[in-house]
Amino acid sequence: MREHLLSIGWVLCLLAGAPAMAADRTLSVTIYADDLALVQDRRDIEVKGGRQRIEFQDVSAQIRPETASLTAGDISIVEQNFDFDLLTPAKLMEKAVGREVTIVRVNPATGAETREEALVLATNGGVVLKIGQRIEVLRDDGLPVRVIFDKVPENLRARPTLSVTVIGGRAGTRPATLSYLTPGLGWRADYVALYNEADSKIDVQGWVTLTNSSGVTYDNAQTLLVAGSPTQVDGGGRQPNYYRGQQPRPTLQQAGTESGSRERLGDYYLYPLAERTTIANLQTKQVSFLDVHGVPAEHGYEFRNRWLGTAETPQSAKSVYSFSTSAHAGLGDQLPAGVLRFYMRDKRGDPQFIGESRIDHTPMGSTLSLATGDAFDVKVRAVVDKRTRLSTFNWQSDMRYELSNALPRPVTVKLLQEGLWGDSRITAESQKSTRRSAETAEWAVTVPANAKASLTATFDTRY
Amino acid sequence: MRGATNRGRHSMRLLPASRFALAWILAATPAMAADTLASMPSDLSVTVYRAPTRRSGSITLSALGGFALISETRIVRLPAGLSRLRFEGVADGIEPSTAIVTGLPAGVIEKNREGKLLSPTALVAAAVGKPVTLLRTDKKTGKSARLAGTIRSDAGGGVVFETSEGAEALRCSGLPESLSFMGVADLAATPTLSVQVRSAEPVTRTVTLSYLARDFDWGADYVATVAADGKTMDLGAWVTLANGNGGGLPSAQLQVVAGRVNRESGEVEPLDVGGPILAQCWPRGSTSDLPQYLQIDRAWPLGAARNRAAGAINPMAMAAAGLAEVTATAKKVEQEQLGDLKLYRVPERTTVASRQSKQVRLLDRSSIPITHVYGADLAGDDDAMSAAAHLLLRTINDAAHHLGLPLPSGRVAVFAARDGATLLDHESNLRDLAVDEEVEVDMGDSPDVQVRAAKETTTIDPARTHELPLVPGVLHLRSAQVEAVNHVDISNALGVEIQFELRLRLPEGGRVVRADHPLGSKNGRPIFRLTIPANETVTVRYQWQHTTG
Repeated sequence: MREHLLSIGWVLCLLAGAPAMAADRTLSVTIYADDLALVQDRRDIEVKGGRQRIEFQDVSAQIRPETASLTAGDISIVEQNFDFDLLTPAKLMEKAVGREVTIVRVNPATGAETREEALVLATNGGVVLKIGQRIEVLRDDGLPVRVIFDKVPENLRARPTLSVTVIGGRAGTRPATLSYLTPGLGWRADYVALYNEADSKIDVQGWVTLTNSSGVTYDNAQTLLVAGSPTQVDGGGRQPNYYRGQQPRPTLQQAGTESGSRERLGDYYLYPLAERTTIANLQTKQVSFLDVHGVPAEHGYEFRNRWLGTAETPQSAKSVYSFSTSAHAGLGDQLPAGVLRFYMRDKRGDPQFIGESRIDHTPMGSTLSLATGDAFDVKVRAVVDKRTRLSTFNWQSDMRYELSNALPRPVTVKLLQEGLWGDSRITAESQKSTRRSAETAEWAVTVPANAKASLTATFDTRY
Repeated sequence: MRGATNRGRHSMRLLPASRFALAWILAATPAMAADTLASMPSDLSVTVYRAPTRRSGSITLSALGGFALISETRIVRLPAGLSRLRFEGVADGIEPSTAIVTGLPAGVIEKNREGKLLSPTALVAAAVGKPVTLLRTDKKTGKSARLAGTIRSDAGGGVVFETSEGAEALRCSGLPESLSFMGVADLAATPTLSVQVRSAEPVTRTVTLSYLARDFDWGADYVATVAADGKTMDLGAWVTLANGNGGGLPSAQLQVVAGRVNRESGEVEPLDVGGPILAQCWPRGSTSDLPQYLQIDRAWPLGAARNRAAGAINPMAMAAAGLAEVTATAKKVEQEQLGDLKLYRVPERTTVASRQSKQVRLLDRSSIPITHVYGADLAGDDDAMSAAAHLLLRTINDAAHHLGLPLPSGRVAVFAARDGATLLDHESNLRDLAVDEEVEVDMGDSPDVQVRAAKETTTIDPARTHELPLVPGVLHLRSAQVEAVNHVDISNALGVEIQFELRLRLPEGGRVVRADHPLGSKNGRPIFRLTIPANETVTVRYQWQHTTG
């Protein structure tokens, strides 16, 4: 019963406190995708007239102080300081060097207290005190001694604090806006795609996931998310193209050319959150921004073989889903970078996870092709049957690809032979290939249900 | 500190009822969200996925690299207006960005996962600038004094508080001191997921919360028993799954999925699990001290601590227990197709307790025809090489061989029959095998079958040499091809005739030009398929060349 009363008391107290808080502070936070945020903190300040120091304690602990600026009517800024000297017991003692403190000795046998005034001489390795004419080391005997300081030094604080010294004109309360950049806030998109095997359609939900590790809580903030990375292009996801190394699988099949109705800022898309929200420190927050049903999707198989790739055992083909982001028969939106997770219903109708794939910022009207994982039943074995040296710089390679399908339905595997470097020609092949690019040949091989298929090709490479 | 934590938990359990009553009062104020607690799961479904990086082999209890999809059915009562719906007791390995809540009325505003957990340091951090009570106990008399004060700072691991007497540092005096706090500042014991939702009217709904959680894994553990005549084997298998999370999953529908699914190496959402109040002090050197360095005790990250705990389980004992159970009859898992993956459903509801590994029967097949194949790999120019041959058990995964079902990757223990009992012969790994694929179980080296390779004669054909003028008229380089007759002896000390495969790995463009045994080809490589009679030695001679077309 006491707990009930207690919690009622709490809530009532919150009710009383909340409107006042909302009235004198308005926060707006703009979060970019690459760990950067612009915080605009608008609050009422009391201007006394004349020189005055204004402290902002609840700014981000990771604030970039050089980007901070305070704007308010009828004041001029003298200087701006960011104090990151934090209040710790050691600092407290260090700042007391040359000052008097009170020490309280406690007699371990009787518990009796003896008070003395002491002058702190040094704090190097241990605390050296001058008590009257005696010099002692604090707690040298290991007995309990309390040290009481008169006050906490001015510029030592629990949290890093931004302070601005201003000269105010007329006295009075007026609104001021503090804006600064801070890392520690970031966002990405998370997509949930439910694939319906019966009619080859997907339902896609998009969530904005934002995380805050900046050290403070942003209360009741108006939040705007910016899709696009202002300073760096693609946060290092792309590997450099090494000599004949395998490139990462491209997910964007066709770049879109449609423009959506979403708000833009330059080349970036803006995702404002509909309501004010509190972004607590270390919180992970998700807000929905996309919900589309019944988008046609295509399921296929893909196998990429590197140049002269040969395998002792069959390798699984990749299971690939592709769909469009176009307004016609597509998602009808541009997609901010993130991770798309695929689900599919099992025999009982419960959704089960079948794999995920990362996507880049994708314009509207694009075609995406995403690999969710390896197919258990569709496998390919690539074999270099023969390598013949035609001349010093001219080789002939006979390749054989054996495809197997343990599924009770026929499948078509998109087979890609990569690394056709230099002057590479296909002199013979059992099925017509298309050259997707100079370095990649592509075959669409149909494998009947519960059966095998084979493809041979002879490459003539000269360099 | 333990006392304070327990009190926090206790009051949290009592709160929901009182908060329900309050929700009505709060409905009038739109800015405030009423706190609503979802019921504990009334139904649970768990689907365990293997570690995406492990292509074969069994699980490691100390490092569970897989994950699970957990779906919980819960009942929620929402008041009219804005409410904060909290889901307590989710698995601690939850990846908050994967959480999906279905069944709520329209009006989900946002989903949150708080990363700050209730811990001693979190309590102090939340109390900075707020009134607390300092408890100071006299060691001699046992009397404790309560002193009202304010925490001024918790920076750098030390605590500075201020009372009416002045500023002091916590636990720097050598007296027993501790803090007592006013409330738990809305901190939860485990990562808690909450949803901000607005409902037009009070509703009761059944919702499903599903999410991916780390620290699960599974693998298949096969036991193959080779018959005394060596012509057939029996194959049995267990699904071995493990939960490394601190929370159990009671009476759950359990599934495992075979096949490799893509996982993007996801960034881990920030989480502060806190730590003890360290009470760092000012320099405490004394005149009898040698120079000393501050030792800062670091709190272990969540996963690390868990892994250490899991490491306490002896995997060997586990495996032995698994083997002992082989003879027991059990209900088998049911297999179904899930897209391009294989889903295995445990037929009955089961409880997956915290930090537990569990075994469910996967399959039992008997009298599978097998062949023993010995083999060796030789590079084309190996000279004076001697090695034991490699033994493989080979069969085909089809109905004719009493198999013909998907075999998920795992570990195989091969036992040999001996006088009615079985002995462990060899252990090896198995990859995912689809129907109709060739199954090869690695049996290790066989010292009774030895392979010795040597170059018998080497010659240079003058017609095939080339002069390369390096400095014309002064220095010449001669390119010549050494032609060697290679000689391989395969000796069989076994009392039975064996099948032997000698595989050659020739340099690029190399081709066998002469051989005294019929030459075949496998995977683009030359191979001699030989039959070695009991207790005899067979010699193969061959010659290879770089060829130009």
